Amino acid sequence: MKTGDQRRMIEARDVVKYFGRFKALDRVSFDVREGEKVVILGPSGSGKSTLLRSINQLETIDAGRIVVNGIDINDPATDITRVREEVGMVFQSFNLFPHKTVLENLTLAQVVVRKRSRQEAREKGLELLRKVGIAEKADVFPGRLSGGQQQRVAIARSLAMDPKLMLFDEPTSALDPEMIGEVLDVMKGLAREGMTMVVVTHEMGFAREVADRVIFMDHGAIVEEGTPEHFFTSPTHERTKLFLSQIL
Amino acid sequence: MMNMEHDNKPIEVGDGAAIPTKADAGLFTAWRISFLGAVGALAYLVIAKPDPYLNILKFVPDGIVVTFKVTIGAILLSLVLGLLTGLGRISGNRFFNGIASVYVEVIRGIPLLVQIFYIYYALGRIVHVPDMLSAIIAMAVCYGAYMGEVFRAGIQSIPKGQMEAALSLGMTRSQAMGHVILPQAVKVVLPPIGNEFIALLKDSSLVSILAVSDLLRRGREYASESFAYFETYTIIALVYLIITLILSKLIGMMEERINENR
Repeated sequence: MKTGDQRRMIEARDVVKYFGRFKALDRVSFDVREGEKVVILGPSGSGKSTLLRSINQLETIDAGRIVVNGIDINDPATDITRVREEVGMVFQSFNLFPHKTVLENLTLAQVVVRKRSRQEAREKGLELLRKVGIAEKADVFPGRLSGGQQQRVAIARSLAMDPKLMLFDEPTSALDPEMIGEVLDVMKGLAREGMTMVVVTHEMGFAREVADRVIFMDHGAIVEEGTPEHFFTSPTHERTKLFLSQIL
Repeated sequence: MMNMEHDNKPIEVGDGAAIPTKADAGLFTAWRISFLGAVGALAYLVIAKPDPYLNILKFVPDGIVVTFKVTIGAILLSLVLGLLTGLGRISGNRFFNGIASVYVEVIRGIPLLVQIFYIYYALGRIVHVPDMLSAIIAMAVCYGAYMGEVFRAGIQSIPKGQMEAALSLGMTRSQAMGHVILPQAVKVVLPPIGNEFIALLKDSSLVSILAVSDLLRRGREYASESFAYFETYTIIALVYLIITLILSKLIGMMEERINENR
């Protein structure tokens, strides 16, 4: 486990988000240090995904402050695309581009955003496809792949941008059970390499094994926060105990 | 009333001729019956009664050329207008959204024939515009509004996650639109756009009320000299039918090719 005072990758203070009159995030504050793996748990509707999506401003927050990689993302002077370039995101529904081949999915943003040459982007893309174990599918369209393969491509697509931080929004929730393992393995490999990761998931095994810290949310607020050992063995709050008794 | 929220509604299909589908794959498809019937009827009339039918047929090709010129000009212009309108309708920018929405509402509320007159005389007050150009502008302004709605629906039919994925990779909204959303939307809008093309070709007959010698006007000119009204309009109708059937076939083939390349 990493300790000490590494640089802060994410610094969120008193974040508030409303959907209409529904308070999705209620003064949420947390930090993520460089290289840290944080897993966010909580019942559905607790605000986990909203919190994750506000880190790269797929959701705009109504109050508070989020600083990512040293940049205040809600500052009007901030060019949010510069922040998003450095923040990879993996979605529950993969969101691969269906009109592009697997390799083109990996090269598009490298060329358009990072301004790499096609050749350079191709090489990088193929290298990452080998890393996630599907190099042989490079020229196939995503529709031909299984869910597990699609999600691995989606992870590779994010990695192609050389992100400093990776966000995972329930990456295995849309997968058949036999495909969850292959995606989690890729994520574990990434964790071993020292990637900073924030993961919203229901995979308790993954949380135990990989997380440096677990954040438990309910009703738009952080209820409890701590190491996996503490969280799974001796939770302090009643709501955490109730959640764990339901899910384990 | 303004109706801005029809997300996930199927794309409205214009009143163009039916585009062949794979289900029509049999030998006696509606398209084949119609096409062979029209060509056969035309051939029979021309051969069996060259006077007046052959004379009429010889008289109208100039008009066919004009009809094509008006149609193609209006299609190109209305595609540009339609795409801009569609983008305006989904824009978060209140100004562009407002302009696009008002344009669509106003144009859809005025009959095309009235628009053709209006634009002809309105333009004529400011600058001298050739009749044909005035006709093309009128058709394009009208169809731009309808195509704008098709483009809007097509863009909105692409799942939200596609835009989010593109943005999360650091693309700007316009990069995401150009590289991710529009290429997918084009496939979705092709059938309804094809229907709009066909409808536009047919509606181009309305420009014959201006001094534009399109297919219909050439027919009228012939008929008013020869008094062979019935015979003339029979030929005109058959020629329109054959043209639209060929066009609908071409669009169907294009659509098939695009779907193959998925």
